[in-house]
Amino acid sequence: MDESFLSEEVRRQIAEIGEADIVVGIPSFNNARTIGQVVRAVQAGFAKYFPNERTLIVNSDGGSTDGTQEVVQTATAPDYHTILAPHPVRGVHRIVTPYHGVPGKGSALRTVFAVAHAVAARACAVVDSDLRSITPEWLDLLLSPVFHQGFDFVAPLYHRHKYDGTITNSIVYPLTRALYGKRVRQPIGGDFGFSGRLAGHFLEHHVWHSDVARFGIDIWMTTTAITGGYGVCQSFLGAKIHDVKDPGVDLSAMLMQVVSSVFALIEDHHAVWREVRGSQAVPLFGFEYAVGLEPMRVDVSRMVGIFAAGARDLAPIWEQVLAADTFASVGELAAAGVTDFRFPVELWVRVVYDFAAAFHAKVINREHLLRSLTPLYLGRTASFVNENEEAGSAEVEAAIEALCLEFERCKPYLVERWDTA
Amino acid sequence: MEGSFWQTLLGALDAFFVGVVRFLPGLLAAFLILVVGLVIGWLVRVTARRALVVAKFDRFCDSSGASQVLSRADVRAAPSSLAAALLFWLVFLSFLMAGLSALHIEVISRLISEFFLYLPRILAALAILFVGFLLANFLARAALLAAVNAGVPSPRAISLVVKFLITILSFAMALEQLEIAKTIVLAAFVIAFGAVMFGLALAFGLGGRDVARRVLERHLRDTDERPAKDDISHI
Repeated sequence: MDESFLSEEVRRQIAEIGEADIVVGIPSFNNARTIGQVVRAVQAGFAKYFPNERTLIVNSDGGSTDGTQEVVQTATAPDYHTILAPHPVRGVHRIVTPYHGVPGKGSALRTVFAVAHAVAARACAVVDSDLRSITPEWLDLLLSPVFHQGFDFVAPLYHRHKYDGTITNSIVYPLTRALYGKRVRQPIGGDFGFSGRLAGHFLEHHVWHSDVARFGIDIWMTTTAITGGYGVCQSFLGAKIHDVKDPGVDLSAMLMQVVSSVFALIEDHHAVWREVRGSQAVPLFGFEYAVGLEPMRVDVSRMVGIFAAGARDLAPIWEQVLAADTFASVGELAAAGVTDFRFPVELWVRVVYDFAAAFHAKVINREHLLRSLTPLYLGRTASFVNENEEAGSAEVEAAIEALCLEFERCKPYLVERWDTA
Repeated sequence: MEGSFWQTLLGALDAFFVGVVRFLPGLLAAFLILVVGLVIGWLVRVTARRALVVAKFDRFCDSSGASQVLSRADVRAAPSSLAAALLFWLVFLSFLMAGLSALHIEVISRLISEFFLYLPRILAALAILFVGFLLANFLARAALLAAVNAGVPSPRAISLVVKFLITILSFAMALEQLEIAKTIVLAAFVIAFGAVMFGLALAFGLGGRDVARRVLERHLRDTDERPAKDDISHI
């Protein structure tokens, strides 16, 4: 396994540390505002739940200029008395290093995987550096299923507003479930637990110069764990609150990155998913609870407007991508008003599968293909908001379950489109 | 006198026959070279067509937009057939020129060398036009997608402007390669391009003055104050 990309300094520190039982990786880039709290939460988690184990924090940084690495180096330990944790028997080692390779979270995590493999860690976790809602309990929930229960991969499960995570709810989760047969509710959550064995398996793949290294690492980890036959579970972590750095992120670019990662993995694993039938639940750890969430402002008319503009102006592109009857049905939707707008579940599933097949066939430039999905996605999201305006969390989850079952039912359609592409 | 008439006549006929006898081998050689060129050109065409089909050249042209460019030019043949035909004509023309050279006629030889000197310019101009059309279609589509996804009004107009500008630029560059009315083409291009840019600047600068000020104010303000249209978090 090639670990030559680790710097001399990191290898020297690894040699000094020797072995560690638990490694927690924190990828970062200009997160000085929040990373100190994340480091303290991790240390508190170690003290409360793994007081006798050899622990290591790895900060894999993308060249921060705001003092992020210095914050990690100097972050003080929490007051163990206040958090009702015993004083740890062993100290917590820290490795703070810039990562090498293609800029992106994937390259940052590759460093974490390599360090975890080098110190022969039994259990590992990665948490985002901009978390504001991380608690010491997260360490228990992400690491104990691996350390004590023998699982290899722990996906997160967050409590979210019914309208949040629509890309996950309408595309990534249903697709991952239908194709690979495991009901991992939030496959691109961002905070994961995994075994040292799985970290070594991740390192064996040659994906570190591809889009996986840039933005596709989360879904790649989840899919690789599932298709590799590793023990997969999920843990309820409560709410996930990020530090808001850039609220104006381009939705089209984000959708393109996420969906291109998912579709590329569909290509890589086509021999696996075509044989899978139905799906199975994965074990869930943690105490699930619901909290009231503030009402959310959603501009449905803007979403419907963009969908209508897409139906009018992107029709020549959609006609190349969608099956004839799907294209005709999509065109008929544009006539509806804002409050009456509905994008049927069956139609949405065929749209997603048609796009997956068109991606595989390279019908047009892939970036253009996925950007043309944006108006369709916004149409589906607007419909979802309209359908669930009065619904509570349970009803919304039931609607998502119905969508997933439709994805599973229509899977032969994808196989047929894929084979004729 | 009568004797010298017949001598002159016979001499002329003799010179003619000598000329014909001298010319005939060259003509025969030219004909043979032409036939060989036809055969080799046909073989190159068949081989190239098969190789391009195996390499899925037609699919590549479909996804890159080259097929759309050809269909807009009312060219119905598959790209692999076209490419193979192009290779045939290149090979055959080369043999044709070689065959004509075998006739050893000075005017023809000079025309041939001028043609071969000009041929790279024709090929460069065709390549510029083809790449220009591909680029125009690609960037026009990118502009259309960006405008639709951003909810910008008149996305098709924006796309058409992008396509028009790149196409005009390609035509001007191709004509410059062919050295056809260089000064006129350059002047026309500068005037047309400048007029379009000036018109756009006036339209946005005067007509969109207030919009431009609001956009600039929003960008210069702290990002935390930027009002979001949605609270929704899509990921």
